[in-house]
Amino acid sequence: MAAGMLAASMTLVSPGAAPLGVAPLAAQEAAPGVGAKAPVVTVNDLEGEPVDLGAFIGRKPVLIEFWASWCGSCHQLLPAIRAAHGRYGDRVEFLGINITVNDPPERVRRYLAEHAPPFRVLYDDQGASVRAFDVPATSYVVIIDRTGTIVYTGSGGSQRLEPALRRVVEH
Amino acid sequence: MFRSTVLMTFAAPAVVLAIAPAPLAGQHAAPEQLGQPTAVVVSGPEVGTEAPDFLLSWAGRDGLGPIDRPFTLRAHRGKVVVLLFYPKDFTPTCTVEMASFGDRYDELFGPGVVVAGINADSLETHARFAARLNLPFPLLTDPGQRVSRLYGSADRDGYNRRTVYVIGPDGKVAYRDVRFNPLDPRAYDELRRAVQAARAGV
Repeated sequence: MAAGMLAASMTLVSPGAAPLGVAPLAAQEAAPGVGAKAPVVTVNDLEGEPVDLGAFIGRKPVLIEFWASWCGSCHQLLPAIRAAHGRYGDRVEFLGINITVNDPPERVRRYLAEHAPPFRVLYDDQGASVRAFDVPATSYVVIIDRTGTIVYTGSGGSQRLEPALRRVVEH
Repeated sequence: MFRSTVLMTFAAPAVVLAIAPAPLAGQHAAPEQLGQPTAVVVSGPEVGTEAPDFLLSWAGRDGLGPIDRPFTLRAHRGKVVVLLFYPKDFTPTCTVEMASFGDRYDELFGPGVVVAGINADSLETHARFAARLNLPFPLLTDPGQRVSRLYGSADRDGYNRRTVYVIGPDGKVAYRDVRFNPLDPRAYDELRRAVQAARAGV
């Protein structure tokens, strides 16, 4: 009886059309991790202009940080991002995708004016990249090689980005 | 099967009474066990089924709730109830999630809707967290995660997964998001629409 009740209370959710009253499944699928092809989506910039990540992904190495101005770990990581950009910025595209939740554009602009992070800033107010990469936290960094394959994912304020960046520029 | 348990903590008087006529607290099954890495196994009451009643102590921005007035689902029958299961107070992502619910309370929920956050943190922690964010809704403490398990929200590590339930005035689940991503703006839009739909049925 217990097993039957347990089975009745568990649902195997597989990708497909969401039944009524159930959140869409796209965000429930497995996150693209190391070894997977990076999803290519279109994300707005701060002016609301769409930017196709396909302009970078699969064409050259890419580092993406999902960030917010209120994110302490992102701020803590900024020196490492700066150092990495200083060393690899001529060969790697650095993208900073703001996740926009609780982070209105004017606050983002103030942060940029004050701290000038060394990445191209995108403002994902539609959440397309957050869903596609299944972003688990702000300060989430994804490093992608020139073939579009993810070679590194991580989050937090003290990430070691150097080995992955060295790898993507050498291969 | 009828199960009821009362747990008291020593740090703070917290009361947990899970009134569960049916759904067992299903254990989270790892997708790899099923050989389907792109599938997710979820448990807890499904849409259209009765939401299990429970009784939990709570705290809010003004301090601890009265010990003789715990939060029960049954007391809010006839209203739309939104249950927000989340991992831990004061962590960055939980902070932005709860702050978003608080800051956008009127837009997301509206008048007459009962909203409650739930995790295993203590009442004192909840009170500080709610005060810090000025949350206009209570935070329920579920120290043994008994209620969180009933709703399929308890993870193996003692934290809750981010799970959102909208319960209609009839006491049945009207909507659920078993993997609410607080960093996705669309997740809030989906919730707002679900609450509006449930309110329209009042």
